[in-house]
Amino acid sequence: MKRRKFDLASVPGKAAKGVDERYQVATPLRGLLNKVFPDHWSFLLGEIALFSFIVLLLSGVFLTLFFDPSMKEVAYDGSYTALRGTEMSAAYESSLHLSFEVRGGLFMRQMHHWAALLFMAAIVVHMARVFFTGAFRKPREANWAIGIALFLLGFLAGFTGYSLPDDGLSGTGLRIASAIMLSIPVVGTWLSASIFGGEFPGELIIGRFYIAHVLLIPGGLLALISVHLGLVFAQKHTQWPGPGRTNSNVVGERMFPRYALKQGGFFMTVFGVIALLAGLFQINPIWLFGPYRASEVSSGSQPDWYVMFMDGLVRLMPAWQIDLPIGDGYVIPPLFWPAVVGLGALTTVPMFYPWIEARRLKDTRSHHLLQRPRDAPERTGLGAMAFTFFIVATLSGGNDVIADKFHISLNAMTWAGRIGMVILPPLAYYLAVRICLGLQQHDREVLAHGVETGIIKRLPDGRFVEVHQPLSPVDDHGHPLPLDYAGWVVPKKMNRLGALAPAVKGFFFPVEKPVEAPVSPAVPPLASREDREEITSGR
Amino acid sequence: MTVTKNDQHGAGTEPVDLSDPRLSRFEIVREGARRDDIEIVTYESQFPTPNSKAEKRIERTIALMFLLAGLLGLVFLAAYIFWPWEFELGHARSDYYTPILGISLGLALLAIGFAILTWAKKLLPHEVSIQDRHEGRSTDEDRQITGQTLLFTVDELGIQRRPLLKGAIALGLAPIGLVAAAPLVGGLIKNPHKPDRGQDPPMFRTGFDPVANQGRPVRLTHEDGTPIRPEDISVGGQITVFPGVPHGATNEYADSPTLLIQLRADDAAVARKASEEDERNKGAMWGNYVAFSKICTHAGCPASLYEQQTNRLLCPCHQSQFLITENARPIFGPASRRLPMLPITVDDEGYFVAASDYRETVGPDFWERP
Amino acid sequence: MTSDTPAGRRFRVFTRRRSAPSRARRRIGAAVRMLAALALAGGVYTAFAPGASAEDTRQLSGAAQEGKALFDNSCISCHGRNAEGVEGRGPSLIGVGSASVEFQVGTGRMPMTRQEAQAEKKPPQFNEAQTKQLGQYIQELGGGPQLPSGSLVEDIEQNPEALARGGELFRINCTSCHSFGGAGGALSSGKFAPSLHSASAEEIYAAMLTGPQNMPVFGDNEITPEQKRQIITYVTQQLQEDKDPGGLFNLGRYGPVTEGLAIFLVGITLLVFATLWIAGKS
Repeated sequence: MKRRKFDLASVPGKAAKGVDERYQVATPLRGLLNKVFPDHWSFLLGEIALFSFIVLLLSGVFLTLFFDPSMKEVAYDGSYTALRGTEMSAAYESSLHLSFEVRGGLFMRQMHHWAALLFMAAIVVHMARVFFTGAFRKPREANWAIGIALFLLGFLAGFTGYSLPDDGLSGTGLRIASAIMLSIPVVGTWLSASIFGGEFPGELIIGRFYIAHVLLIPGGLLALISVHLGLVFAQKHTQWPGPGRTNSNVVGERMFPRYALKQGGFFMTVFGVIALLAGLFQINPIWLFGPYRASEVSSGSQPDWYVMFMDGLVRLMPAWQIDLPIGDGYVIPPLFWPAVVGLGALTTVPMFYPWIEARRLKDTRSHHLLQRPRDAPERTGLGAMAFTFFIVATLSGGNDVIADKFHISLNAMTWAGRIGMVILPPLAYYLAVRICLGLQQHDREVLAHGVETGIIKRLPDGRFVEVHQPLSPVDDHGHPLPLDYAGWVVPKKMNRLGALAPAVKGFFFPVEKPVEAPVSPAVPPLASREDREEITSGR
Repeated sequence: MTVTKNDQHGAGTEPVDLSDPRLSRFEIVREGARRDDIEIVTYESQFPTPNSKAEKRIERTIALMFLLAGLLGLVFLAAYIFWPWEFELGHARSDYYTPILGISLGLALLAIGFAILTWAKKLLPHEVSIQDRHEGRSTDEDRQITGQTLLFTVDELGIQRRPLLKGAIALGLAPIGLVAAAPLVGGLIKNPHKPDRGQDPPMFRTGFDPVANQGRPVRLTHEDGTPIRPEDISVGGQITVFPGVPHGATNEYADSPTLLIQLRADDAAVARKASEEDERNKGAMWGNYVAFSKICTHAGCPASLYEQQTNRLLCPCHQSQFLITENARPIFGPASRRLPMLPITVDDEGYFVAASDYRETVGPDFWERP
Repeated sequence: MTSDTPAGRRFRVFTRRRSAPSRARRRIGAAVRMLAALALAGGVYTAFAPGASAEDTRQLSGAAQEGKALFDNSCISCHGRNAEGVEGRGPSLIGVGSASVEFQVGTGRMPMTRQEAQAEKKPPQFNEAQTKQLGQYIQELGGGPQLPSGSLVEDIEQNPEALARGGELFRINCTSCHSFGGAGGALSSGKFAPSLHSASAEEIYAAMLTGPQNMPVFGDNEITPEQKRQIITYVTQQLQEDKDPGGLFNLGRYGPVTEGLAIFLVGITLLVFATLWIAGKS
């Protein structure tokens, strides 16, 4: 029998045909490949969170190979001399082993921890972008709520992970967690006893947190992230207003070839930054903390930064205890309000913001074009208020370190936080709204009168006026025709109109070609520099 | 290949005949895009003349970045295998293991990232495409058909018409739902008030309860179990003491750590006056010595930052401050309840013992605290 | 300009505890002037009260007499004649012992520049010999704890358990104020526990023995001399000498506060720059 010549080049084509015959993928795949994404730096912030989650999964799997989630007491006999012979839990012992005896174990642990901090930081920054640009409006309300849920899940993942090594610092955190459970009226003691399997600390909690940290919570995160991305895909990304961009289209690049390649490069960048952080900055040196003992504590005990706002609220809470004189008497301890009610409110109320805003504005339309923060002053003010509150609370979570390092009285720091918490958010609201209105006004002014040229002209009657370059054609009297605001950047400097070639390539401000940057869809784009007339029209 | 808007293609334009052999690959791609409502407005190479010097230069940069990444990867591997990694005290070469791994891997990944991004940004053609966004709603007909289909299912099942089934389903499925929940709740639940071997539940007692010591008063001990004499504490000094029972200094007795302080004589007089006037703390002092629970009544951290001149006790977790000379009353911060005081005395052999267990519940506050 | 001017005070918030040389020089300048004034006052005092002085010096050793002269020059205005204390200015030093003097004067905490919540560590005003003489004087006045002779640090080659044992004692007794990493921490109302990163073995020993400022006293019965040496071994060998294995920077060992700062200042900042570059038009 004559052997057919093997044609290597035809293999992929044949394989593809075979796959399509069985699974009919060609049509849906074409839709997938042909997806247009708008391009703006702020749309990449969420990706930082996504990519650090991937790093978390990868490094986390490595860590599980060496970690022993057991609270059995053992004596340490590893290479870290300063703990040799100390009695400790197997969880702590295996964390030390992982750090000092496993090749690259410490590096992996630090990468996992930095990736976790970056994950949460990116979520918050991404959330701020979505909020201030109004990207949460119909039809994306559910995705906003999922985002908040992701923050809460990340918070829990972070806290359970922080607790696993069972070191002196994380044990203190666990102790506070148990006190928070105890503070819940009526069911507090039952809840704490059920979760810890008896009195604190018991012998079960590390094992229970372990399964939550490596299976339940990551499973939830994975599911929610999939839905989050799926919705972005199905609903298509929002875009900034601009030339040719309308509420019913997406202007940008197709996913392939360029956009996907950029995403791949960005993943490598995020991964690289995490690896650099892990190599340069020591994080959570558990060997200094010693094993957890209920009698030991360190000054400057803080949770990781994304839990610090809650700790800050707990620190600022005045000692208001509610006594209920029924029967033997019952109490609601002051810890309950900031830690349970506060955390609950701060993570659930924002979920409903999209519906609240739509109801307030009686707005039932779908929005795919973003708003600049200045164009929605009240929302921007509210956001500024919320973030000021969050920042004051977070700083108060580290107020002892701040007090110590900047030589401020600790008690003064607490009072500053208490007062700041009440005064600063409304102030931030007021300032943000005023700034928004001012910026709006300036935009309108430039649209009406043109860009300041810096050329001062003396009129025959002796007055001095500055010549303005109108952005629109002029009428018979040389007055610029009024322009409508299009919701996008209004050029305010002559250089932005191409009066001069850019000295350096745009980095913060991409220098667009004048043809691409008309100021209003209603007005034809400006002519390029060569054929523009000399500025003659003044005001 | 350069396309500008002047060419007449994209959405809203005529479909092309895919069987035409003269079609270029790009034209097929563009036809696919058209079918997905995409109009490719601009697709132009960033280099008007192919193989120009500028293009070559960028190619070389990208190649260099990939090679650099490979080199750094080799550095990582070499360090990973050959660099000493086990911990050594002091300044040792092993201290640089993690930094070397991090810097080599980090820079390698950044180099790859830079290379890919440069490739995408500089070499690939610049593109502007416009895709139609189909407004969210389905057609009225589709809505009607789907809605009627669902209602049809409900009709056929006839739940509305058959109230008996409705009730039976509710009554039958509710227990099954509870069955699913029961193991989770039932397995975890623990009664905190259940007496422990005939004694008070552990929540309300500590290791200083004589019951745990065959009814004899429990000694105050160091963390290694050695008992403590009054002269072991200096004036203005404090030590952390534990119940002198087996495992007394371990986390088994997490509520028991206690701070034993010898006050200066004048401070002790103030403290004695305050404790004698108090119903519960009466007689709890011994000489100039006081013992307070180390477990903060706020969130359970050890409140152990003792300031010997001001006699304040600070908790490092939430900065509650307690005044030792006034029954450890909270004077600042979020704590609302004073620290429980341990009644102490000295036994026949001259060692400190707890006269009884704490007279108040130790640890963070909770709902049914007596 | 002394550091008491408004400008000096304003910048205090932003300076580290280890003072900048210029400020130290200013302080020393002020202190020298104060010293001169005190010397003058002391001289006048000795001239007018020769009887009392002659009576006191009779029982004192040579070194103590030198110390007394220094005391009468620099310390008497707050701690009073014969170190009996002045109400509202400085406590009595009877019974504090030479260990206390060596800690307070040796670390520059005494003499204080001004009355404040807590004396701060600064370049010492007296040299080692003068400090010893002052210590001898206070010791002979009223007795009290003294630093032992011999090494205050265990040799971890011969006694390898000392380090781990010291660490355990450190975590039970010291971390609550000085923190796990020895970075120090805040106490109530402006007081603080100082960082241990630059503390010498003698300073640590003397501090434990005497309980300076608000630090509790850890006498020889609470923590035996051997245990004290173990703690000092841990602090000097582990916290001060050991290089952190987890990176080139240890972020001051302040824990999650500086880590949180780093993720925003380094991580998020770098990546936002990256997004600007990626999305920017080329």
